[in-house]
Amino acid sequence: MKRMKKSIVKLEQVTKIYEGKVMHRALNRLDFEADQGEFIAIMGPSGSGKTTLLNIISTIDMPTYGRVIIDGIEPEALNSNELALFRRHNFGFVFQDINLLSSLTLEENIVLPLTLDGLPIAEMKKRVEQLAKQLSLKDILNRRPDELSGGQAQRTAVGRALIHKPKLILADEPTGNLDSNSAKEVLELLSVVNQTERTTIIMVTHDPIAASYCDRVLFIKDGEFFNEIYKDERRQTFFQRILNVLSLLGGNVHDLRML
Amino acid sequence: MTFRQFAFRNVVRNRRIYAAFFMASVFSVMVFFLYSMLLFHPSIEGSALQEIAVLGMGIAEIILYIFTMFFLFYSMRAFLLARTKEFGILLHLGMEKRQLHRLIFIETLIIGAASIGIGIFLGYMFSKFFFMVVKNIVMLPALPLYLSWEPFALTVGAFLSLFIIISWVAPVFIRTGNLDELIRGEAVGGVGQHGFSKVRGVIGLLLIGLSYCMAAFTSNSIVIGLIFLLPPLATLGTYFFFTDSLPFLLHLFKVRKEFYWRHFRLLAISEGVIRLKENARMFFIVTIVSTVAFMSVGILASLTSFASQYRAMNPLGLVYESFPGNELEEEHINRLGYELRKNEIDYTYVRFPILKQRSSLTSYTVTIIKVSSVNRLSKSLGYQAFELKEGEALFLPPTASTYEQLNSQTVETVLEESGIAVRINGAYPYQLFPAHAIGTNTIILNDADYTKLAELVEPSSVYHAFDIPDWQNTKNIGLKIENTLTESLLTGTRSELRFNFDNPGLNYSIMRTTFTLLLFIGLLLAGVFLLAAGSFIYFRLYTSLESDRKQFDVLKRMGITDKEFKKIVNRQLIPQFFVPWGVALVHSSFAFLSLQVIWDALAEISIVRELTMVLVGFTVLQIIYFYLIRWRYLAHIRIPG
Repeated sequence: MKRMKKSIVKLEQVTKIYEGKVMHRALNRLDFEADQGEFIAIMGPSGSGKTTLLNIISTIDMPTYGRVIIDGIEPEALNSNELALFRRHNFGFVFQDINLLSSLTLEENIVLPLTLDGLPIAEMKKRVEQLAKQLSLKDILNRRPDELSGGQAQRTAVGRALIHKPKLILADEPTGNLDSNSAKEVLELLSVVNQTERTTIIMVTHDPIAASYCDRVLFIKDGEFFNEIYKDERRQTFFQRILNVLSLLGGNVHDLRML
Repeated sequence: MTFRQFAFRNVVRNRRIYAAFFMASVFSVMVFFLYSMLLFHPSIEGSALQEIAVLGMGIAEIILYIFTMFFLFYSMRAFLLARTKEFGILLHLGMEKRQLHRLIFIETLIIGAASIGIGIFLGYMFSKFFFMVVKNIVMLPALPLYLSWEPFALTVGAFLSLFIIISWVAPVFIRTGNLDELIRGEAVGGVGQHGFSKVRGVIGLLLIGLSYCMAAFTSNSIVIGLIFLLPPLATLGTYFFFTDSLPFLLHLFKVRKEFYWRHFRLLAISEGVIRLKENARMFFIVTIVSTVAFMSVGILASLTSFASQYRAMNPLGLVYESFPGNELEEEHINRLGYELRKNEIDYTYVRFPILKQRSSLTSYTVTIIKVSSVNRLSKSLGYQAFELKEGEALFLPPTASTYEQLNSQTVETVLEESGIAVRINGAYPYQLFPAHAIGTNTIILNDADYTKLAELVEPSSVYHAFDIPDWQNTKNIGLKIENTLTESLLTGTRSELRFNFDNPGLNYSIMRTTFTLLLFIGLLLAGVFLLAAGSFIYFRLYTSLESDRKQFDVLKRMGITDKEFKKIVNRQLIPQFFVPWGVALVHSSFAFLSLQVIWDALAEISIVRELTMVLVGFTVLQIIYFYLIRWRYLAHIRIPG
């Protein structure tokens, strides 16, 4: 059933080796595929290569061996200029430490990706208004990032990632710095976006609750594929199954803290 | 590792941050040392010119000292704030506050000692060159290089005290709040920088506009008053301009989203506003100082071109005017002649008794001089002699520009008191006397009538003219008479003296030297300011490097190309470097507009070339500095963590 959908991210036998004083193999012959409209979580212990994987998908980093195809394009064939434009038009990013630009107001932060492409003002205003409603940020659009709560700030960041209607949203621990209520808000927001806009989301997370919002969870360990599970009807049972795999992954107390 | 070693290594390993700070300190020590070398030079003693030199250098030293103090305070504060995190860790590890203060004290002293040492070393190396330049400007005899403890002591004393004060006070700047906050080291600057006062913004613009208007449309009658009014007005205006007007204008711009939400403007302007707010005071100082520097350059440049005109306006070497009842006349004239001969200066002496009569035609008083005296004077200047028959006379034009008008006139009048009839036909074509020196309504009378007249009336004054081809060499002639005059001016007894003395050679050399010195001192000071201003900017960049790096990472992921990023950085840095510059340029242009009114002569002189050369020189320096700092900044920001 899944195979019928169009694949948007495709990694074949990707290996990433960091040269340096100590050579380090961050990813080892990893295959990965994401279909359009999927909401995927990537989990794994610290140092398992999650962030490296995300960086390779986001074309910030290139694999040492293997092939990467994103939306039918091989990033390695693009020069850095084309790559930047490719990222700008296709990706939206959400970070753990939020990273709003402190000199801009909330509205300006959201609209930033559009200004770079020089869209008409009216169009920008329309989209901000629409998004602000959706993200319940309407009344605080003129505030600055240092005047926001964590949840508000991360919702703004999600707004920034969505404003240019990207094909793919890449989230690195988006709930890592949030309290449980704010985390829930952000996750629900992401899954609504995923369902209504059919935007593909790939999210790296430590948190099994966050992962339980996804369609599919990919587990990696020491840079290699470990396991993969799909969601079922109930989030509660999906959550339990995620915990089971995590305990199998084992060895890392940090990841079991949720238990 | 001892505690002192720890402090030393901190400095050495933080050298990249300290570099700009260190450079500016070294340069400032060097210039200070050069000035003191001149102050204590054994062959500088006595004359008025040298006093001006010493005074100028002295004032420059004080300015330099105050500025350096300000600079060090500012830099130290920024630097310590940037290291908040590091201090937090040290405190966390159990370092006592007292020890931390000692650490900072030692570190500051190490940098201070190093900059004093290197600054003095460089200063001593350059002092021979410096003396050569000064010698040419002040026209002193050769200034040999000398070795004496005084300049060293002054420089070391001044700067060591400065660094000790700074390092003693510096720990106050450390934020001693919550340890946890210190370690996270966040929220350094940046907060609460968005505000500005609309009222002050408008006042600033109004003040500047007002000063510009007054400067542009000034007239001769009020210009003197304006000289005292405009500078403070413009200074205050400039201050408000940077603290409030500029943010206000940018705010107006930001409201217009169709301009603001375009490409990189959003990023560049919002960042620019914050930087502007943080550095407003520094921009203000740089602007004012640059204005003063530009103006001294301009004034000097105009004066250099002024030299030939000055000669044309003051054709005589020395002028002594004696009024009735002057007992010192003979003694003074003899002394002047004796001093000129002693100094082997050639001169022609002509005595003009000046007679006064009332003209029957206009019933104004006419000043009268003898044609043969005029001819004697004109002969020494290489002009043709004039013959006047009995009953004839010539107008003596008070200024060169009135000649045309007077030459076309023929007037017949009777000198009322004596009843002598004269026919005044045309004007005397050469400028022998300074403008208005012998009255405004003067005629040259033939010898026969003059002799008749002289028997009837006593001269109202006697004008002693010394024509001296080497007019620039007279600066040491008649100093005693000059001093008597100056003293009487100061004590308010000027009216009791029955004579007047004018030495254009001395006046010229004083004017020229004063402005050349001002220029020279100004250029050196401007150099220090330039470096310091750049160092401030570098500092600010450095303190915000951590958050800038994060921003860069976000932007990179978001898909900003390298070229675009450079553009953003350019748009943030260029205003910081060149806005104060531009404002100073406009300020000085308007100042020149009003100065031209004072010196009508200036209008005819082209100072554009000299001014352009200096401005281009400074701008090139500034551009090099800009690229240097941008290069370092980009390099820093691209290296992660």
